Amino acid sequence: MSKIEKALKKAGDERGNLQVVPAAPAGRTAPWTALLGQQIQVPETIPRMAENERKLLSADELGERGIIHPQHTEEPAVQVFRELRTKIIQQSQEQNAVILVAAVSEGNGGSFIARNLAAAFAFDSAKTALLVDCNLRNPSVHQLLPNAMLPGLADYFENPEMDVSKIIHPVGIARFRAIATGGLREIPAEYFVSMKMRRLVDSLRERYRERFIVLDGPPMSDIADARILSELSDYVLVVARHGRTTNAQIESGLNAISSRKLLGIVFNDEPRIPWIR
Amino acid sequence: MQMYPEQIVKSLMNESFHSRRPVVAMFVIVNVVMLTAGLLWPKSYMGSTSIIVDEKSIMEPLMKGAAVATETADRNRNAREVILGRRILGQVLERAGWLADHPTALEQEALIEHIKARTTITPVGRDVIKIEYRDSDEGRTLFVTKTFADLFIQEMIAQKESETRSAFDFIDKQAQEYQQKLAANEEEIRQLRSSNLDARPGSDIELSARLIALNTRIENTTMELREAQMKGASLERQVSGEAEVTVLATREGQFRARIAELQAKLDTLRLSFHDTHPDVVQLKNQIQDLMAEASAQRERREKAKPSQRSGPDETVVNNPVYQQLRRELSQNQLTIDALKARIAEAKRLLEEEVKRGKGLHSGDARLIELTRDHQINRDIYQDLLYRRERARVSINMGSDRQGSNFKILEPATSRPSPHAPRFWQFVLGGTMLGVLIPLGLLFARLRFDPHVRLANAISERHKVPVAAIVPHLWSPGELTGLRKELAMLALVVTATLALSATLSVVRLLGVL
Repeated sequence: MSKIEKALKKAGDERGNLQVVPAAPAGRTAPWTALLGQQIQVPETIPRMAENERKLLSADELGERGIIHPQHTEEPAVQVFRELRTKIIQQSQEQNAVILVAAVSEGNGGSFIARNLAAAFAFDSAKTALLVDCNLRNPSVHQLLPNAMLPGLADYFENPEMDVSKIIHPVGIARFRAIATGGLREIPAEYFVSMKMRRLVDSLRERYRERFIVLDGPPMSDIADARILSELSDYVLVVARHGRTTNAQIESGLNAISSRKLLGIVFNDEPRIPWIR
Repeated sequence: MQMYPEQIVKSLMNESFHSRRPVVAMFVIVNVVMLTAGLLWPKSYMGSTSIIVDEKSIMEPLMKGAAVATETADRNRNAREVILGRRILGQVLERAGWLADHPTALEQEALIEHIKARTTITPVGRDVIKIEYRDSDEGRTLFVTKTFADLFIQEMIAQKESETRSAFDFIDKQAQEYQQKLAANEEEIRQLRSSNLDARPGSDIELSARLIALNTRIENTTMELREAQMKGASLERQVSGEAEVTVLATREGQFRARIAELQAKLDTLRLSFHDTHPDVVQLKNQIQDLMAEASAQRERREKAKPSQRSGPDETVVNNPVYQQLRRELSQNQLTIDALKARIAEAKRLLEEEVKRGKGLHSGDARLIELTRDHQINRDIYQDLLYRRERARVSINMGSDRQGSNFKILEPATSRPSPHAPRFWQFVLGGTMLGVLIPLGLLFARLRFDPHVRLANAISERHKVPVAAIVPHLWSPGELTGLRKELAMLALVVTATLALSATLSVVRLLGVL
């Protein structure tokens, strides 16, 4: 657990829920705010999010869903995602960013990484996370929602008047929101090339400065979609899975995206004996 | 990709955890297979016996020095050929009871090959041969080993006897041959001697002395002849130079000399005086008188000539030197004739001697050759006679088994084979292989699997940083399941090890 989080946890214990700290004037959070405890200048969105939060899931419930929780301190995965998050924040120089997480091929656990990376961003009380399901063929974000039929991307694209806030749903994790594909119906990939998609991403990014947007992308075997989404995002993480991905697949996946945006490869599901550190 | 040892160990641990079920399954299978093999592995006994062999060929000492024996074949190989030969193996098959089921020829062949494969013959030291035989039946092992030794000794003795016999026959034949040769030789020498009487030792020296004497005589006589001939030529020359007769000074000549003298005086006087001068006239008269005297003298001689009377001529006499030379010349001619006759005689004698010498020489050379052959043949014949007697003794010794050089040094014994694998080796091997085979396969998979199994392999190969290595996230439910699964696998491994241990103990106690 990082020093910042320890401090936050301590402060939370002392003063009740840190998330209900009175709103500070709008604006970007200074990098040092996390260290200041009571004097944190929390952006105005965070208290509002706290109001809209549905009942938070317990650590064990999250564990069952395959999502990390800051309380799982002995879990090595938690530490790994924290480090990955810190790396991205350092890379973006404290500004929010759009991160595309795309697996090299189907079944490499791209959605798992995207979900947990978003959760890691949400660990920080001064940051929020938004997970957008862009994996149209094999969507998974709706599993986090209480109701799979809640409006999502498809509804947004089909109804020009629909407000963005209507498709952003809480998932039971503090400061974590998700946009599902919207029902289980098929939406054409052409939506991603539309101006509307670009505008959506831009507005999501601009509207909430502390929000890190994680795009749960399609596998990179679907080169066209992966390329379009990588253009929309600031950073790209490529997921390869132990014993599932071949070097040839990694090679062709890496060719599909710009190396400028590539943060690196996430090696998923490395076998490790649980009780041995 | 370069891998450090600790990295390999860690990766292998993680991989075995990842593939825990196949790993445990393989451990169990390998152990069970090895245990089964250990239980079913036929028991093996080894029989061994040593035999002292002094296998020097009987030919060798018998023929030593007289004939060059061929190099005897390698002893060990020879013994092997004999023991694993068809004759001994056939008897072993029969005596050990393999032929009780009346196997076909093909089956017998297979049995023989089988026995051959289980028999080893090794030389120990110089003269000892060790026979080892392995079999699954203890009694049969002992019996076959003993039979091998007995049959081998029998065979070798028989072989040696036949070898001695054939050596004797050979020597005997040779001796007879040489005897015949010797007889023929002697006969030839006798004939040569009788046909050529001159041919006796020393006759050639005498002949050469005679030839030298003759040659010397011819040379000397030739020189004398040449001397005489030269003397003759010289006499010839002297005779031709001498006149047969000598002419004395005549009166006519004296008159002519006086006339010439007076004529000269007259010519001188005529220069100063007239013919009428008294001195001149006187001189003229004197000359006239002298001329008349001279012509009278001539006339007298002219008158004497036609009568051819060999009357003493007061002016001609016989030359004494000439007479002497003529005498010597004829003497010399006589000498030359005598010398020539003597040379011809000597040459004839020489020719005769040379002819005789030629005959003498050819006979002599043949005689020498025959004598030499005779000498050699006699030596060899005597040697062969000596050897034949020795061979006869050897045969007698062989038939009495006195000279047997084959003895059993160490009687046949049988004991559990030290080379056969033991049961505990199967148990231990099973446990070790049960661990090593899966680990080896995992390592091979780690190295050669086209799927990515190591994070640093990605960064090394694609030159892209690895942003994070995410371990498997165990949910609480999964962890409970994992605990149960691991307990189960541990139980299986323990059960396998317990089975191995139990079987080992049972085997040690001799129950199985």
